[in-house]
Amino acid sequence: MSLLRVEDVDKSYGDERVLRDVSFEMERQDVEVIVGPSGSGKSTMLRCVNRLTEIDDGAIYLDGEEIHGLDENALRRRVGMVFQDFNLFAHRTARGNVTLGLEEVLGLSKEKARVTADDYLDRVGLADQAESYPAELSGGQQQRVGIARALAMEPELLLFDEPTSALDPELIGEVLEVMRDLAEEGMTMLCVTHEMGFARSAASTLTFLDDGRVVERGPPEQLFDDPENERTSAFLGDLTDVR
Amino acid sequence: MDLLALQAGDWQFILSNWQYLLLGTAVTVLLTASSLALGFLAGFPAGAVEVYGQGRLRAAVSTAGVVLRGTPIVVLMVLFYYGLPTPRLGTLPVIDVRLQAFFAATLALGFRSAAYQAQVFRGAIQSLGEGQMEAARSVGMTQRQAIRHVIFPQAVRRSIPGFQNEFTIVLKDTSVAFAIGLAELLTRAENLYLQPGQSTAVMEVIIAISAVYFVLTFATNRTLDHLEESYAIPGGNE
Repeated sequence: MSLLRVEDVDKSYGDERVLRDVSFEMERQDVEVIVGPSGSGKSTMLRCVNRLTEIDDGAIYLDGEEIHGLDENALRRRVGMVFQDFNLFAHRTARGNVTLGLEEVLGLSKEKARVTADDYLDRVGLADQAESYPAELSGGQQQRVGIARALAMEPELLLFDEPTSALDPELIGEVLEVMRDLAEEGMTMLCVTHEMGFARSAASTLTFLDDGRVVERGPPEQLFDDPENERTSAFLGDLTDVR
Repeated sequence: MDLLALQAGDWQFILSNWQYLLLGTAVTVLLTASSLALGFLAGFPAGAVEVYGQGRLRAAVSTAGVVLRGTPIVVLMVLFYYGLPTPRLGTLPVIDVRLQAFFAATLALGFRSAAYQAQVFRGAIQSLGEGQMEAARSVGMTQRQAIRHVIFPQAVRRSIPGFQNEFTIVLKDTSVAFAIGLAELLTRAENLYLQPGQSTAVMEVIIAISAVYFVLTFATNRTLDHLEESYAIPGGNE
């Protein structure tokens, strides 16, 4: 059974239709990358999966269960999210950002939460920054804390909403490296990104979304090298030229 | 008032009554503290409801705010004093405070302060941006948990400057309790110079209690400044 199944999802903001009949499926350990021009509905699609945004029509299944039949907090424990603007809790240290969910949501003891948090901070290469506050960290470090925070909840699926778009170019690499490691370890990931290098090398499936519709979907080599749709080749071609 | 009234002799009058005025100061401080506490306890949730609440609750809270902010404090105080069916309560010894008046004054000052503090908190919460709430919700926290552990600690820090204003206003407005005969600082001051033969000391008494209000305001504001500094988030707010 697929871990995530999105079926004919529609979403509008007022008169503006943001998602139209979007459908796709992901298996466990898949790395699904969604690309598309800004305003194409990529982020909205992602936010529908953990119900930060509610869909108008269609259905989304997590491991066979329709997510609107689940408690939203229970759903979010199973589906982690990494944000474009990091959204770290500004008043808590790197460690404190990770322990909060562990203590309050999973009910771990303070001591257990601390050990777990340090373990995850170590995994993203920030063991030595556990005591630092977000404002004392670089953007790349902040985003890695964001990943550790989501990862520590041991989600079944991790959503990445343009995780490198707010970063200075020289800081993008360290975040992508962590994401690549996760992919290799078998984490199931749904990523919205403009990083075509990552899309090409790490994605198991690539989806091109334009104007709220899935225009083309398949292995990354196919979309990059031999796209069936003209719009796909125009979009990916443009980006590749720039690189 | 004639400047000639400011004679050395009348300052002696203040000195000989310092204990009487000190007790009034104590009442003023107590009333300020109880009113601000009520204002905080009711004001923060009200501010949160204005940001995150929905439907009737939110409408009710914002209407209550408009009414409280739009009513003169004397009117509120008289209303709470004569309008509430409060049981006859006793009088506190030493500071000579009639509890009924004290409670009415606390309710009036406290709820009005809640209405203003709610606006301070609302602004502070909104200045945090939606990302903080979304991040908290995305790890599975309930809205209540998110407010308590993520929004509140940050919003309170950002509220300190606004709260300093509010403190100053409440402190000075405790003097309005004079209208319901509560023996706070201004009431006692008036009691002093209304004694037969003491009308020449009006200026001295007023200047003396103004100094008390000033010292209280200044000291508390400095304390809050220090509090703001020592609880500042390292690296500053983004």
